[in-house]
Amino acid sequence: MNKQKHSMQPIPSHDEAVRQDFVTDFRAFLTDEIYPKITPYYQSKIEPDFIKEHGRKPEDKKEVQNVMLQDSAYQSWSFLQRISQQMMFTSVIDTVERTLDELIKKTKKYSELGSLELDQTIQIPRYLTAYDIHQQPGGYHTENTENDISAGVVYDISLPIYSGDAMGDENDLLAQATINFIKNNIKTVPKKILDMGCYIGNSTLPFAKAFPESEVYGIDVAAPGLRYAHARANALDASVHFSQQNAESMSFESNTFDIVTSCLFLHETSHAAIPKIINECARVLKPGGWMIHMDVYPFQRNVVEPLYDFLKDWEVINNNEDFSGALREMDLQGIFEEAGFSEETIEFTSAEASSETNKGYTGDFYLKLPVYVAQKMA
Amino acid sequence: MAKKITLPRVAKGKNLIYLDDNSVDNILAMVMTLTQEISVLTDRLDTIENLMAKKGQINIDDINSFEPDNELQEKRSERRKILLKRVLLPIEKALDSK
Repeated sequence: MNKQKHSMQPIPSHDEAVRQDFVTDFRAFLTDEIYPKITPYYQSKIEPDFIKEHGRKPEDKKEVQNVMLQDSAYQSWSFLQRISQQMMFTSVIDTVERTLDELIKKTKKYSELGSLELDQTIQIPRYLTAYDIHQQPGGYHTENTENDISAGVVYDISLPIYSGDAMGDENDLLAQATINFIKNNIKTVPKKILDMGCYIGNSTLPFAKAFPESEVYGIDVAAPGLRYAHARANALDASVHFSQQNAESMSFESNTFDIVTSCLFLHETSHAAIPKIINECARVLKPGGWMIHMDVYPFQRNVVEPLYDFLKDWEVINNNEDFSGALREMDLQGIFEEAGFSEETIEFTSAEASSETNKGYTGDFYLKLPVYVAQKMA
Repeated sequence: MAKKITLPRVAKGKNLIYLDDNSVDNILAMVMTLTQEISVLTDRLDTIENLMAKKGQINIDDINSFEPDNELQEKRSERRKILLKRVLLPIEKALDSK
């Protein structure tokens, strides 16, 4: 099975490839063999101990967390899950480091379609520099050499390991779900589409392919991702206009786009950034245009199961996704209305991807994804 | 010659402690990396065995360019799972509910 899915990806050596395969199998083992033991373990040991001491069940995820973080059996799984992510990155970084010179040279060849505009004066927001999101060493933005693309390459080739090969050859399963949603529910043929926080463009390219008549734009603050995104788009024969911009304050003119979208972007920003980003979405959309963000799991549920809530927050605590938990608590409805989206069009629903093969460690998560949708007032 | 580029290998973030202290966490991390290297060695040996069975005589390029087919991939995955099961037995056992 060839690991190189397009010509901007490096080819791992024999040992690098099997080292990466080990991480895939390690993550599968943790998810399939160990993780399912946690709920029964909690029900038969942790919860009864808690009841003995307090005379009642834990009330919320905080109380569950207090006992679980003291439990060495749970913490062993949690630690293994955390280091599987670290091992994923170290095993792909070997390949990227070894091949980086050649890959950077290749970007010159893959530059004809679309465009790339970088802005050296851009400030990387603190929410991206305070810690490395997903534990990717150096984060999204770090430049290790001239014209660096390494962080983008690392991201691209670790996604199949992260997801258990659930994202498809072009890592585009999530965007396909958004596109399905647009085709089934919004039924507009957009002329101009903007993808915010596009990074390597894996969720941007599908728009260019699904709507060949539209102009597709992608913005991000991280140059290594954008340089790679442009070359990658060319390697995959797609035309996208990438530019280095902060979604909190963009240079696009008002009333420009028919659709503004993002994919797993909002939860990597901050409390202060969210209203600014949503205001910008409203500004750059044409009247009657649609905003559609795919992001973290549903956040307003009626059924509260403290253990479920605690486990769902695993990435927040253990995988440097600090803001994703807090996003769920925000009044997005209010922020959307404030920004000028029609109240009756605001919807927190889900988009479905169709996976031809049953891949991935946890299929459900990747096949039904939360989307936040709203239409700008006409 | 251009200076060799080195990429960072450690992520910036909170220093979390999971087990008794940092040193216990570090030992478990090292055990898993060693397990990974055992797996790499076993796969390399498996590559050599497969090539030998087919060709009789091989060179280093044959090994480095070898790509397992799907059937062999699955066999290797199965074997890695058995390796992981052995190494992680104490942890699995601790989570088994009575």
